Amino acid sequence: MRNFWRVSVHIAVLLTLTGACVCAQAQTDAEKSASASTAKVESGKRAFSSAGCAACHGVRGQGTNLAPQIAPPPVELPALISYVRQPTGTMPAVSAATASDQQLSDIYAFLKSEAPASQGGEAATGNAANGKKLFLAYGCYQCHGYVGQGASTGPRIGPPPLSLAFLISYVRHPTGQMPPYTEKVVPDQDLTDIFAYLRTMPQPARASSIPLLNQ
Amino acid sequence: MRKRKDDSVNRRDFLKAAAAGTAAAAALAANPVAARAASPAMPHGNATAPTLAKPPLADAASHVDVVTVDRPGSDFMVDALKTLNFEYLCANPGNSFRSLHESLINYGGNKNPEFITCCHEESAVAMGHGYAKIEGKPLLVCVHGTVGLQHASMGIYDAFCDRVPVYIILGNFENAAMRFGQVDWTHSAQDPAAMIRDFVKWDDQPVSLQSFAESAVRAYKIATTPPMMPVALVAGHELQENQVPDGAPLSIPKLTMASPPAGDSGAVAEVARLLVAAENPVLVTDRVARTPAGLAGMIELAELLQAPVVDRNGRMNFPTRHPLNQTERAGAVIDTADVIAGLELTDFWSTVNSVHGQVYPVTHPATKPGAKLISITANDLYLKSNYQDFQRYQPVDLALAADAEATLPSLIEAVKRQITDDRKNTFEDRGKKLATAHQQALDRNREAATPGWNASPISTARMSAELWAQIKDEDWSLVSNCQFVSRWPLRLWDFNKHYHYIGTEGGFGVGYGLPASVGAALGNRKHGRLTVSIQNDGDAMFAPGVLWTAAHSRIPLLIIMHNNRAYHQELMQIQIMADRHNRGITRASIGNVLVDPPIDYAKLAQSMGVHGEGPVTDPSDLAPAIKRAIAVVKGGSPALVDVVTQPR
Repeated sequence: MRNFWRVSVHIAVLLTLTGACVCAQAQTDAEKSASASTAKVESGKRAFSSAGCAACHGVRGQGTNLAPQIAPPPVELPALISYVRQPTGTMPAVSAATASDQQLSDIYAFLKSEAPASQGGEAATGNAANGKKLFLAYGCYQCHGYVGQGASTGPRIGPPPLSLAFLISYVRHPTGQMPPYTEKVVPDQDLTDIFAYLRTMPQPARASSIPLLNQ
Repeated sequence: MRKRKDDSVNRRDFLKAAAAGTAAAAALAANPVAARAASPAMPHGNATAPTLAKPPLADAASHVDVVTVDRPGSDFMVDALKTLNFEYLCANPGNSFRSLHESLINYGGNKNPEFITCCHEESAVAMGHGYAKIEGKPLLVCVHGTVGLQHASMGIYDAFCDRVPVYIILGNFENAAMRFGQVDWTHSAQDPAAMIRDFVKWDDQPVSLQSFAESAVRAYKIATTPPMMPVALVAGHELQENQVPDGAPLSIPKLTMASPPAGDSGAVAEVARLLVAAENPVLVTDRVARTPAGLAGMIELAELLQAPVVDRNGRMNFPTRHPLNQTERAGAVIDTADVIAGLELTDFWSTVNSVHGQVYPVTHPATKPGAKLISITANDLYLKSNYQDFQRYQPVDLALAADAEATLPSLIEAVKRQITDDRKNTFEDRGKKLATAHQQALDRNREAATPGWNASPISTARMSAELWAQIKDEDWSLVSNCQFVSRWPLRLWDFNKHYHYIGTEGGFGVGYGLPASVGAALGNRKHGRLTVSIQNDGDAMFAPGVLWTAAHSRIPLLIIMHNNRAYHQELMQIQIMADRHNRGITRASIGNVLVDPPIDYAKLAQSMGVHGEGPVTDPSDLAPAIKRAIAVVKGGSPALVDVVTQPR
């Protein structure tokens, strides 16, 4: 019996030690994985800049008047690689010499890491009615249209395809033709109100549902 | 004061009488009209300039103004001008060309050319600008002295930048002794064409009728030989009004049009070799299609190569719905191109380079390293120095100083000779991919048109789609610049005929749009086409009197007002400046908007005899208004629909 307990204690100690080792090993893998993920994101961030993606899509992939928002990525990685190699829109093709598949994978990770926070509740902090007044007074409509529908002079921003944080960040540090607007010129609270106004815009109908757009 | 011939003294009789002595002179002096001596200078109508025996003031006969002539010089000018087969003369009247005016309408019968009354010289020139892009030939514009020419100058500059021929005759009181007073002096110049010499291709100031005839024919030939540009001919007041000397050996030289300069065979063969061998060739067009043949040639060349075409839309160069039209993905195809052929490309540099930056332009190449650049343009044959419309210099690998349209036939043949079966297969694969990409681009544009679809002010996408629905089954011609409505017509409509689009202002001078549209409609009239213009409000207000011209001359034109109630380009610019100066951005509208009161363009049109609809603010009201207006236009008159629109 004594031996039984002795054996049991040994087993328990062994199991405990084994478990501890396993847990320690698991922690190490997670840390390694996290570290690798961070490195991948950092690599992707650098590649995003060096390959020239940021020039059109913005430094955080938030979109500019030259190109759409791509953070978070709207497609899976294979589709992104396929599109980048043979784009069908205005975007120039990016060869493997400019950005390898591995670099595109890193960029994809970076874009996922830059995914905007949930927009839920952000509008609640803004006054949409005041935002509408500000949208007109500040002349946002001049390039983006009265309902933010976009034009040749600026992309569609109504409803906003990005978060308030991105909006404010972009307005302060735009990467396209839009000039930067300082806090002095357009305070954060005003941008918050404008954002709330833009969120009142309905999602547009699909073109296929409008006969005039199928002529 | 002028007098009818039957009440006056015949010039020849006068000369005989003057030679006969004092008795005749006394008789003339007894005539109250003839005795109304106006000037001690040479008598009117005396082209042979008789020698006076006594100082003029001492001779009673010299105070007698001969008021009639049998054949003024301006009649001969009309003879010369008629050989050039002008359909129309656009002019605001002015006494420096009064004799020519009278000869045109009476001696010339007001036919070929027919006088079109204009309310501003800039309108007259812009009408010629729009007309020439439809008809492929110039009309005649008469301009009055210094003041008329200054009014006309902006229109001339636009036509110059757009490489369009406009034939201008400029009246002038060249002989100071024959000026009647202050106004004649202020309206005269020693060298009247000097102010426009920097932006016309050629000008002359002939001092005899024979040289006028020769210069008239030469001017036409110069204006219509690529690169085409306006020309100006000064018609001196005395040359117009004085009698054609009896027995003067005048003749009018035959006009023989110069064949447009085409690329030499060796260079053309090299262009073909590069294009056929390229994996990703791109054809970039701007002002290629001067005639329907240019459009047909571009289609044939592109289809032979299955090469993408990026159209800068200076003319109607390539069908918008053609699968090889890749204009909407210009950046993508140019970025991957290994050979880029620019055909009558106004701004090659900006085609292959990108410009960014807020304060200072930051540039970088838009092409991949090693891409071969080919240029075919008549602009290499003739440039002016002062005005900078020639754009930034772009080094290329092969430059043909030649008219692209004239070069297309030989280039097409050279390409045919060099295509192998193997290359054909490659081309077919390329064409299929491009067709898919074209359709996707069209689908994207349609989706982009939907936001704000029911908004008021009305979105320019909605306005364009509503207009397209009403004209797509007609024989239509859009004669306005699409850039200020986000290019929606070019993105959504099916452009496939030479007259479906005529490009832009050229010099982007405000005030071109409305008169050029009226001029283009004048050209389209005899073809029975439905001419349509999407008209910017700020542009219309420069010289709205051309609405009256359209009504008066029964020129059918559908005008859709893009009434965003602002000089919108400048509104954006001032907002940018206010932001840069860090002084707040809420006052940019000062000086830039057309509100308080808003302009009622329908009433403006109605006041000049043009059918007016609007202002239309509800998009659902657009279709009925456009239908009513089209009914008026089909009846042979102009109509305007005022649409209150989004900015762009």
